[in-house]
Amino acid sequence: MEILRVENLYKSFVGTEDVVTGVSFQINEGEVVALIGPSGSGKSTLLRCLTLLEKIDHGAIYVAGEPMVTTSPTGEVNYAPEAVLRKIRLRLGLVFQSFNLFPHFSVLRNITEAPIHVAGIPPAEAEALARQLLAKIGLSDKADAYPYQLSGGQSQRVAIARALAMKPDILFFDEPTSALDPELTGEVLKVIRNLAAEQMTMMVVTHEMAFAREVADRVIFMDKGQIVEEGTPEILFGQPANERTRTFLGNYNLG
Amino acid sequence: MFVLEYSTQLLKQLALLGSGALTTLRIFCLTLLISLPLGLLIALARMAPYKWLNLPVRFYILIMRGTPLILQLIFFYFAPSAILPEGLRFTLPRFTAAIVAFSLNYAAYFAEIYRGGIESISLGQYEAAAVLGFTKSQTFFRIILPQVIKRILPPVSNEVITLVKDTALITVLGITELFRVARNEANRLFSTSPLFIAGLFYLFMNWLVTKVFDAAEKKLSYYR
Repeated sequence: MEILRVENLYKSFVGTEDVVTGVSFQINEGEVVALIGPSGSGKSTLLRCLTLLEKIDHGAIYVAGEPMVTTSPTGEVNYAPEAVLRKIRLRLGLVFQSFNLFPHFSVLRNITEAPIHVAGIPPAEAEALARQLLAKIGLSDKADAYPYQLSGGQSQRVAIARALAMKPDILFFDEPTSALDPELTGEVLKVIRNLAAEQMTMMVVTHEMAFAREVADRVIFMDKGQIVEEGTPEILFGQPANERTRTFLGNYNLG
Repeated sequence: MFVLEYSTQLLKQLALLGSGALTTLRIFCLTLLISLPLGLLIALARMAPYKWLNLPVRFYILIMRGTPLILQLIFFYFAPSAILPEGLRFTLPRFTAAIVAFSLNYAAYFAEIYRGGIESISLGQYEAAAVLGFTKSQTFFRIILPQVIKRILPPVSNEVITLVKDTALITVLGITELFRVARNEANRLFSTSPLFIAGLFYLFMNWLVTKVFDAAEKKLSYYR
C-alpha cells in the first residue's frame, strides 16, 4: 500500500543552494528508503517540505492517498484545509539532526506530551505507551531524567520514542546521527534497524552509507535538487549507473 | 523618662512610615499585576509580522522608555483634563493615574525583556512542536513560555527591584506613600532619621524581592 507519493516537487529559497527541482517518488508501507547525496543537494529541504515545515513552490504530495498539497494546471499551489493538514500531520513523524527535545520536560513527559494534548490519549495510557517505548530503546531508567542529563545518543533515542508515541504512518529522519560522536551513532542506528525489522515505514536522510546499504530497501541518490538515481542498495552501491552517483560514492570507503 | 518618650516617638514614626509603606506596596503589587501580562501582549504585538500592529507598538515603547517616568506620572494625571477636547475631559484619581503610568511604563520594559527571551529560544523547539501537531498556542504556552520565564528571571528581577524604588516618584502627585511620609516627618522633626528609616523600608522590600526571585530561580533550576 502506498504511504507517500510525491509528484514533481519544486522548492527554492532566496540565497541558498539547498533547493529541490522536480522530484517525484513514492514510498510503500513497510518500506525503508535511504536518501543520500552531497550536502546542499536538497535532501533536507525535501524532508522539510514533506513534514510541512516548508511550503512547496510547485508539485503535489499525497499521504496515504490523501492530497496534502496539489498544484493546479495554472501553477497554483493548494494545500489541504488546516483541519485536514492537522490529521495528515499526525501520520508523519520527524526525527531531527539536533534532537530538539523539550528541555523543561522530563524524558517521560517529552514522550507523553503530544499524545495527551494533541492526540487526546488518556494520560495513563500515554504513560504506559511511553514506558513501553523507553524499554524498547533501552532507556527505561531515564524516564525521570531531563534532556540535559542525557548523552547525544540517548537524546536521539528519546527523540525517536517521542516521534513513535504519535504512531505515525511514516517516520522521517534528517541525518539522525550527524550531530553525534562516532561512538554514539551505533546505539541510534540500532534503534532504527530494530524499527526496520518491525516493518516501520521510514525515510532516512543519511551519510552513513554502510547503514543505508544494510537497512534500506531502496536508496535514492539526490544531487543538485534532483533524483539522479534510485534502486536497491545492491544495485545503487554495487553498480551505480550514473557518473555522479559513482563520483559521490567514491568519497566513501564502502569496503 | 527621656528614653520612654523617645521610644514612643519612634514607634509613632514607624507606624506612620508603615502606613506609607502600605500604599507603596499597593502600587508595587498593582503595577506588577498589570504590567507583567500586559508586557507579554506588547511583546507579541511587537513581534507580529504586521506593520500596522508593530509600528505603533514600537512607538509606544520608544515613548515609554525614552521619557522620564516622573513626567509620565504628571502627564497621566494632568493631561486628560488639559489636552482632550471640551466635553471629553476627565481627571483620573491620583492613585489611578499613578497605576496607569507605572503599568504602561513597566509593561514597555517587560515587553522588551519578554521579546529577548522569546527570540532566544531555538527554532528547533517550534519545529519539533509543529511536527508533533501542537497548535500555535499550545506551542507557545506549553513549550516556549516556560523556557522563556526561566531565561528572563534575572532581567525581570532587575526591573522589579527598580520598581520598588521608583514608587517614590509618585510623591510628585501628592500621594501619601512611604517617601512622602518620610520627608514630611523629616521636615517636621528637623531630622533626617525618618528618611533613613524609609531607606531601610525600601531595602527590606527589595531583600524580600531578591529572596522571591532566588527561590523562583532555584525552583526552575531542575533543567538546563
